[in-house]
Amino acid sequence: MDARNETSTAVVDGFPAAPAPRRAVRWLQVARDDQAELIRFWPVVHNMVSQDLRVRYQRSFMGFLWTLINPLLMMAILSVVFSNLFPSRANYSLFLLAGMVPWGLLSGAVVESTASILINEGLIRKIYVPKLIFPLVRALLNLVTTVLSLGALFILLIPLGARPSWPMLLLPVAMGLLFFFTLGMALFVATANTFFRDCGHLVSVFMQAWYFATPILYGVSDFPEAIQWRFWLNPAFYYIEIFHNIICDGQWPRASILGTAAALAVISMGIGYATFKSNEDKMVFRL
Amino acid sequence: MPRLSPTKTKWFFDSEGRNRGVRRDLADVEQPLIDLRGVSLKFINYADKTFTIKRAFLQLLLRREKPVPDSEFWALRNINLRIRQGERIGILGSNGAGKSTLLRLLAKIYPPTTGEVAVRGTVAPLIEMGAGFNPELTGFENILLNGAILGFNRKRMLEKVEEIHEFTGLREFADLPLKYYSSGMYSRLAFGVATSIDPEILLVDESLSAGDAAFREKATRRIRDLMKRSRAVILVSHDMGSLRKLCDRGLWLRKGELIADGPIKDVIDDYEAWTKSIKTAPA
Repeated sequence: MDARNETSTAVVDGFPAAPAPRRAVRWLQVARDDQAELIRFWPVVHNMVSQDLRVRYQRSFMGFLWTLINPLLMMAILSVVFSNLFPSRANYSLFLLAGMVPWGLLSGAVVESTASILINEGLIRKIYVPKLIFPLVRALLNLVTTVLSLGALFILLIPLGARPSWPMLLLPVAMGLLFFFTLGMALFVATANTFFRDCGHLVSVFMQAWYFATPILYGVSDFPEAIQWRFWLNPAFYYIEIFHNIICDGQWPRASILGTAAALAVISMGIGYATFKSNEDKMVFRL
Repeated sequence: MPRLSPTKTKWFFDSEGRNRGVRRDLADVEQPLIDLRGVSLKFINYADKTFTIKRAFLQLLLRREKPVPDSEFWALRNINLRIRQGERIGILGSNGAGKSTLLRLLAKIYPPTTGEVAVRGTVAPLIEMGAGFNPELTGFENILLNGAILGFNRKRMLEKVEEIHEFTGLREFADLPLKYYSSGMYSRLAFGVATSIDPEILLVDESLSAGDAAFREKATRRIRDLMKRSRAVILVSHDMGSLRKLCDRGLWLRKGELIADGPIKDVIDDYEAWTKSIKTAPA
């Protein structure tokens, strides 16, 4: 019969055709198409996020309250442990929590979206869904938990000795910047892991190293003035610094830091999005 | 909803409702619903799928030949196809001829290696059942999730839930997580959801047998019904009888090439004659 056993194909009268010259990618068009697709598939994203949250706390006695209680308990433990370990700093537990919460968004989203394309293989191979939504869902899920943790942090603020202040109005902006920075990295990592499976293992180790390289457990001021500039090379430093400024010190963050954070968010988003879109078509063949 | 002008991108779907309110059936009857131009699809059988960073670097740096060359496989070769309003298309061909690949290409699951694909209208892929089902969620939630993936918002899907329960007879299990469903219940639900939407283009892959004889009969009737409602149907089947009955245009694929395109009767006759000649020919 007609069943193919041979794997290689002879070139028959001009087939396969010579590859067409590569057309330049029109990024504006790509982004506009994606916007339309995201609007069309927004109910799917919404569904996936809310149901993932629901499944996570299904059939537990406290149910959805765990999203709030969990970070509260975590923070209580962390502040007890670390403020006894490093008692040198005033108000150390608040300092610690203000750094931990935004870091949770970054590392959680990046680590989770590493395998997001591979995990959803069943869906991708059966039905059309824009692949962009899988890293996006992971990032949004982490955003939701982080915002809830931030809520828990506010509850803790009073006993920890801080007071609500005007600069806190800037928190949504800081969250937004951090979210886009995170999403860019998540997209990049998700693409890389689809083609190079080793990435998954590297990413979690890398995030761990990055965590210790970022002033979360310690402050920049613990270092001599002469080498403090080294932290400027760390992109995460700017975001953590903004949160420290706002939550711990109750100060408006410096414009230069905010500006750098915004620029980094744009760069990260640009690199991540471009990498993802230019490899999106090949992904289905690599699953 | 952003108002976008239809553009000449590789993919575009008009399911976003940009032209809602326009009598499209009057406005552009002439425009084909599906337009494939010189479409080829190549699968690369990667010698080993775990393409490691180490190997990528070595290849890049040393410009070294791959230890085992990747073998290529052209699943579709240079296909030109236009499908207009109201056509009922049956695709014939033996195993491995590229029929299912063509359906998947139309469903946007595979991108074309070369050529252009333009599809106008919502597509309902009855290719694989139960895509996007989450075993942790209840039957009811899965109906909503699947509806969202197929392009229906919550409100419109809620209107359909009753009808889906009616058809599958799974109303009393609606609040049970899907992982406790039997495989028969699972496929019934999947079929019910997939066939509950009103598509413009319907892609159906043969083996849609689910459940017992009574259900299969119900399913067949439901598909026929769906075919009547949709504006274009593409059916892949090995059952010549049903193809003759349901379709009016036939396509014959062989080794990824479109070798016949015409009235279904002629194509089936040719195909059967060819099959017989292959069988009687000395091995």
